[in-house]
Amino acid sequence: MRRRSIALTASAGIAAGALGLTSLALPAGAQNPRLPTTTPQELVASVLESGRAPAMAGTVTVHNRLGLPALPGTEEAGEFLSGGQKSLRVWSDGERGYRMSVPTSQGEVTVVDDGNTVWKWTSSERTVVKHHTGEGEPGTRRDDTPAENPAELARGLVGKLRDSSEVTVDGTTRVAGEDAYELVLTPDPGERTKLREVRVAVGAEHRIPLRVEVNTNGSGEPALSAGFTRLDFGRQDPELFQFTPPENARVRTADPEEGNHPEGEQRQRANSTSRLVGDGWDTVVVSELPRQATRQEDTAEREHAGSPENPRGILDTIGEPISGSWGHGRVVDTAAGTAVITTDGRVAAGAVPRQVLTEALRNS
Amino acid sequence: MNGMVSRVEPPSGVRRNGPAPFWRVVRSELGWVLRRPRNLLALFGLAMLPVLIGTVLTLTDSAGSGPSLFAAMAGNGLVLPVFSLMMTQNLLLPLVTAMVAADALAGESAHGTLRGLLLAPVGRVRLVTVKAIGVASMIVLAVGVITLSGVLTGLTVVGGDGLVTLSGTTLPLGPALGRVALAAGWCAVQMAAVGAVALAVSAATEHPLLVMAVTVGGLIVFGVLEAFPNLEWLKPVMLTTDWYSISDVLSDPIRSQDLLTGLWRACCYILIGFSAATARMATKDT
Amino acid sequence: MGEAVDTARAGAHEAPASARETEPALRTRSLRKTYGRTVAVSDVNLTVPRGAVLGMLGPNGSGKTTTIRMLLGLTEPTSGSVELLGHRIPEHTGRALPLVGSLVEGPGFHPFLSGRRNLRRCAAVEPGLFGSDTDTAVEQALERVGLSEAAERRYRSYSLGMKQRLGLAAALLVPRELVVLDEPTNGLDPAGTREIRRVIADLHADGTTVILSSHLLSEVENTCTHAAVLREGTLIAQGALDTLLESTGPSLLVTVADTEEGLRALREADLPVSQENGDLRVDLSDNRAPEVIAALVRAGVEVHEARRERAGLEDIFARLTEGET
Repeated sequence: MRRRSIALTASAGIAAGALGLTSLALPAGAQNPRLPTTTPQELVASVLESGRAPAMAGTVTVHNRLGLPALPGTEEAGEFLSGGQKSLRVWSDGERGYRMSVPTSQGEVTVVDDGNTVWKWTSSERTVVKHHTGEGEPGTRRDDTPAENPAELARGLVGKLRDSSEVTVDGTTRVAGEDAYELVLTPDPGERTKLREVRVAVGAEHRIPLRVEVNTNGSGEPALSAGFTRLDFGRQDPELFQFTPPENARVRTADPEEGNHPEGEQRQRANSTSRLVGDGWDTVVVSELPRQATRQEDTAEREHAGSPENPRGILDTIGEPISGSWGHGRVVDTAAGTAVITTDGRVAAGAVPRQVLTEALRNS
Repeated sequence: MNGMVSRVEPPSGVRRNGPAPFWRVVRSELGWVLRRPRNLLALFGLAMLPVLIGTVLTLTDSAGSGPSLFAAMAGNGLVLPVFSLMMTQNLLLPLVTAMVAADALAGESAHGTLRGLLLAPVGRVRLVTVKAIGVASMIVLAVGVITLSGVLTGLTVVGGDGLVTLSGTTLPLGPALGRVALAAGWCAVQMAAVGAVALAVSAATEHPLLVMAVTVGGLIVFGVLEAFPNLEWLKPVMLTTDWYSISDVLSDPIRSQDLLTGLWRACCYILIGFSAATARMATKDT
Repeated sequence: MGEAVDTARAGAHEAPASARETEPALRTRSLRKTYGRTVAVSDVNLTVPRGAVLGMLGPNGSGKTTTIRMLLGLTEPTSGSVELLGHRIPEHTGRALPLVGSLVEGPGFHPFLSGRRNLRRCAAVEPGLFGSDTDTAVEQALERVGLSEAAERRYRSYSLGMKQRLGLAAALLVPRELVVLDEPTNGLDPAGTREIRRVIADLHADGTTVILSSHLLSEVENTCTHAAVLREGTLIAQGALDTLLESTGPSLLVTVADTEEGLRALREADLPVSQENGDLRVDLSDNRAPEVIAALVRAGVEVHEARRERAGLEDIFARLTEGET
């Protein structure tokens, strides 16, 4: 019957559409490539020297299941640490030009490095922050290059962890269409850490890290992964690495020594008062809270507790009390790490179980 | 009753085989859609919305707060059409789309006119195609009206020539209008997906209200499901998932990934909806 | 390309033209429609000769409308086949339906459009109309049903009768070979009903086949040449009206002074008698009129009047449909 055959054809159409939708839900399964063997040492060396990326445009997707509360004074880094998924786009001209664009809830933050100046544009505030780097090393832009970039993240992690890790190459993989080696760092038996391993996918062709995954004990999914989901090597439009502030934007020149830049100020302070206890996987960062936050607590402005300006307030709402010979405070446990904040304004954090933190506090 | 003359010479036209010319049927359908008072009212309402938003924007100084993109709009008039599309695409545009799709088959069925069309006869597949064109035209008109009103209001009331993108670059008027057109086109495809599904529901019932309830209700359910983290795996198949990505046209260069995913998803929905509507019509007893 | 189309057209025209004389306008074979376990129509073998005016009779729910919907391809039969003007339905509705005008289940129009706009919409989808003919056909159809004056008014404001007439206008937009009218006099006043009858008579005179469903027996009796009676989805009688009426014998209607007495007298004489409006009706299939009168006179019943009567459609209908009630 003709009507039946129409209905049949139409059903095939429905099936095809459903299949198209499912293709969105299923990850593209690709065969792991065959690559010439390499040694872990070779890969580690290429990760550490990956400062100079070739000209490329890419999209980095970050999945975060660390379970940390948003920390104050960190802006992008804070957004980066808070849970969820986001994707940011990066461009590089292979020389000094660099561009990054991060979507925010209110618009976009774009960072453009034209080689001499780093421009940071925040669309929601219509502000441009200008930062002269002069004819320095390419590495000077690191302050404004957030940790999302797999290359930066990998360099940091591998640099800190390789001495206390067993480093192996675990086969090959594909990241954003690129063949890659999987470099795996496993903590030495003596390390006291909540982390199981750190995996770095290193591109076979350009030898730059394409993806970083941090795996914890007892979870199949990485607590943190940052990797390219799209990557195109090749010459980029030089326009991308130029920035002209739009007409009615507020333009400010950031001078780190001036100290009137709130973000810079806090960073400065955090740097000056924090130090590392231990090394390798069980490194603990111990720092003093910015004075302002402590003062707020002292004057018992309880109504501000829990506001993003007050880290202790946040801990008060989510942490649990803890005390010991080092004093007392509150502790937050997540899958990947632990943080303790004491009543006298010290903060200790690391990818370690809590007694490592309390030891570090006792010794500091 | 005097006028009821029973013998009238038949029209002199030559009898020919085959159905009525396709475009004549389409033209008749469009005339029907555009003569419906409530459709015209809906278009007028949609045209007024950007004017309202633009006026509110200039009268109040609410920079830095409000819905996303709101901040980017100050003195940047060509953001207004995109913002208006983003705001209407969640509820108002789907509502108008569902309304037209509901009239298209369920409404005709309720008035008994669907029978007349089938007896003319208009082939069933052809009928669904004509109806789909009718719904699509109304969508294009609705989106076009919002965009046009948004552009005009943006340029005159909010001000600014050209467009300051979210990335901080400044586009001249031509490319800026191109971006707006891109957003409008993308939005129209998303609405076509809504329309296709609504048409399928419309083919299955003779209660126009049910079509609107199912369509708009479905979108609301999607919105609710999106809020549950453990239903994350459902996100890729939900039509609404990338709807906020429409603002990605305002990035420079365009953030194309989500837009393309959304486009593919909408096309899948269109295929499913249209096929389901055809299947239902082909086997339907009317 | 144009040539090819023309040849195809000519070919398509030939088949029905040559078959016209022999093929009936409509033939169904073992037509059956079930909804779940409910049987709406079962085993209907209906044949309507060309040029006939067929009245479909049956109480509500007897399957009249379902049958008509299957004839027109609106509903797909569960089993059985329909041949409409020589084309199989529903496979070839596209070939048959342009030659068929119909008014099924009441007029269907859009309330927010005027009568003229509604008809133009019908004309736009009508395969038989081209170019400027469309507008001419609309005006002529409006004139035919007497709606020219009200053509600009919205359908919403029409009376029931006007709506019905607009429906008729849509069915008769182009000359048809077959016209199917489902309860065409619904909502019409007596004058309107008369006009419908005239339209049907004219169609009949033009050689158009008409299928008419109605519950008004007198209407069918007055306008039809053929009748088909449906009961509970089954076709219980069909054929030319004359034949149907003759199949039931004549009867004698007797007016007597005392009905009770007369009834008793005739029953004692073993005559089939029934009482009707104070008169006595005697079936004359097996008896002769003088015997009836003699029986009455013998019993001393005063006979005022006696007349022979042919059975009406009403009697047949009553007899055929009463069965299980």
